[in-house]
Amino acid sequence: MQDRSSDSLVPTDQELLRLIVESAIDFAIFTMDPNGITTSWNPGAQRLLGYRNGEIIGSSVDVIFPPEEGGSAAAAEERRTALAQGRAEDERWQMRKDGARFWASGLLMPLADQNAGFVKILRDRTSQHRAEEQLRESEERFRVLATNIPQLVFRTKPNGERTWPSPQWSSFTGLDFAASLDLGWLEAIHPDDRDATQAAWQDAQRNGEYYVEHRVRPAGSDEYLWHQTRALPLTHGAKSGDADWVGTMTDIHELKTLEARQQVLLAEVQHRTRNLLAIVQSIARQTIKSSRSVDEFAEEYESRLGALSRIQSLLARTDSDPIDLRELVAGELEAHGHASPQASSKVKIEGSSVLLPSSSAQLLALAIHELATNAVKYGALGQRSGQLVVRWGVDKDSAKPMAAVEWRETGVAMPEGGRKRRGYGSELIERALPFQLGAKTKLEFRPDGLCCEILVPVTSKERRDG
Amino acid sequence: MVDPTAEALNGRCLLIVEDEYLIATDLARALEERGARVIGPAGSIEGALSMLGAHQQIDGAVLDINLRGERIYPVADALRARGVPFVFVTGYDAWGIPDAYASVPRLEKPVSAPALVRLLR
Repeated sequence: MQDRSSDSLVPTDQELLRLIVESAIDFAIFTMDPNGITTSWNPGAQRLLGYRNGEIIGSSVDVIFPPEEGGSAAAAEERRTALAQGRAEDERWQMRKDGARFWASGLLMPLADQNAGFVKILRDRTSQHRAEEQLRESEERFRVLATNIPQLVFRTKPNGERTWPSPQWSSFTGLDFAASLDLGWLEAIHPDDRDATQAAWQDAQRNGEYYVEHRVRPAGSDEYLWHQTRALPLTHGAKSGDADWVGTMTDIHELKTLEARQQVLLAEVQHRTRNLLAIVQSIARQTIKSSRSVDEFAEEYESRLGALSRIQSLLARTDSDPIDLRELVAGELEAHGHASPQASSKVKIEGSSVLLPSSSAQLLALAIHELATNAVKYGALGQRSGQLVVRWGVDKDSAKPMAAVEWRETGVAMPEGGRKRRGYGSELIERALPFQLGAKTKLEFRPDGLCCEILVPVTSKERRDG
Repeated sequence: MVDPTAEALNGRCLLIVEDEYLIATDLARALEERGARVIGPAGSIEGALSMLGAHQQIDGAVLDINLRGERIYPVADALRARGVPFVFVTGYDAWGIPDAYASVPRLEKPVSAPALVRLLR
């Protein structure tokens, strides 16, 4: 065994310690006597605090405590703590010779021989401290924002496991913080939407953005509400594949509902329009069949389309509300030049206001139109002595209320030989009305004029427009 | 001009379900003119189902989708169960029709008679 002290190649413990202290220039390492008078000062201390050896050794080291940190009183307090507890660690602002402050992490320990004083090790952590403060501020800004906007905010891992649900999320869904973590939050998503919700996280990895529309259940409710959920990774770029994502969930239920209603309306408009075209086509075919000339066709076709168009405007005005039978009858007679009982001594309309389902109005209007056209050409409205009474009554107490409508022409010289014109009008009244409206009808050619009875279902529904 | 679809449906028994009388009779006439025997027209689901029950031989059907607010699908299902082919004649675009019936041939109103006959042949 060699004597270490005699081997010049191996430093002594004393020498080793000196080397470390001298070379640790990132650390200020210095000693002081029990009253804070500097006894040693390493190059790191000179670099960090600005005092050279000769300037500070023999003077109080308490000058590095700035007044706002308590000055020498705080330094003395730290020495008492170190004595009592064996060490005093702190993070605080300290002061350089030039007065500049820096954030220091410090450790003060009594030397083995307490009468010899203390050793202090200081490290400059100003930049870390600033970064930490900025992070705290930005996290505070995030928290304030996340907890005050109406959206439900969350933080999540890239696979959809939540790491932070906002308080709004918890109060909206009734799932508390702990219950919402990881995949617990899926509990509030509609079971049918969970697969899509999870699959969207895979797409999000590719697109760099998470997007899904799904239904979310509010606390204590069975009615799920549509939400739009978006999320973005906190740091952009490829290197952070496992960065946290931040997302928001926005209530879009009303929008979705309107969208659905619009689809239904659009389908209904399509249906009605195409049906109407088919009816126009059918009227054209029928009119061609009974016309002996193009002129006759043009006249009849235009007049029938006129009736169809009048009832369309009536229907358009009231939407799906019922149609008043009086408006319908009066409108047809007016179109044939017999506006009102005052203006025409030949026509009487007798009946209170009766409401027809809008689905019945179109065909009934076409039938009334045929009756009126017929009356102008061959009946009461075309002959000087002719009279027309249209009257109706309703049995409102019946479970299925029906209006009994009577169209009665009198004072008409009927065609020779009892010629009966069984044309389009007859088909509408005798066949179409029973088939389509469940009506009961009777068409009679009496010696003094035509008599038509129509028993047609009416609605008990009130009109919304009053 | 000779209609190439004339007599194309000779002897076929075809059910029509359509609640608009004018459209229903137009369809019936178009099919009858080409030799078909028309069952119906039925104007309601109930009527159509009872016609299905009353007729042993039905070779095909023409169905309107919306019958006074009721959907035709129960009738379509009954026809499928019997293996009877059918077509929709409708005012609805494809997106108004449930997936289960998306493959059913569909003609939009107003219907061209030759196009209908080609689907039923």
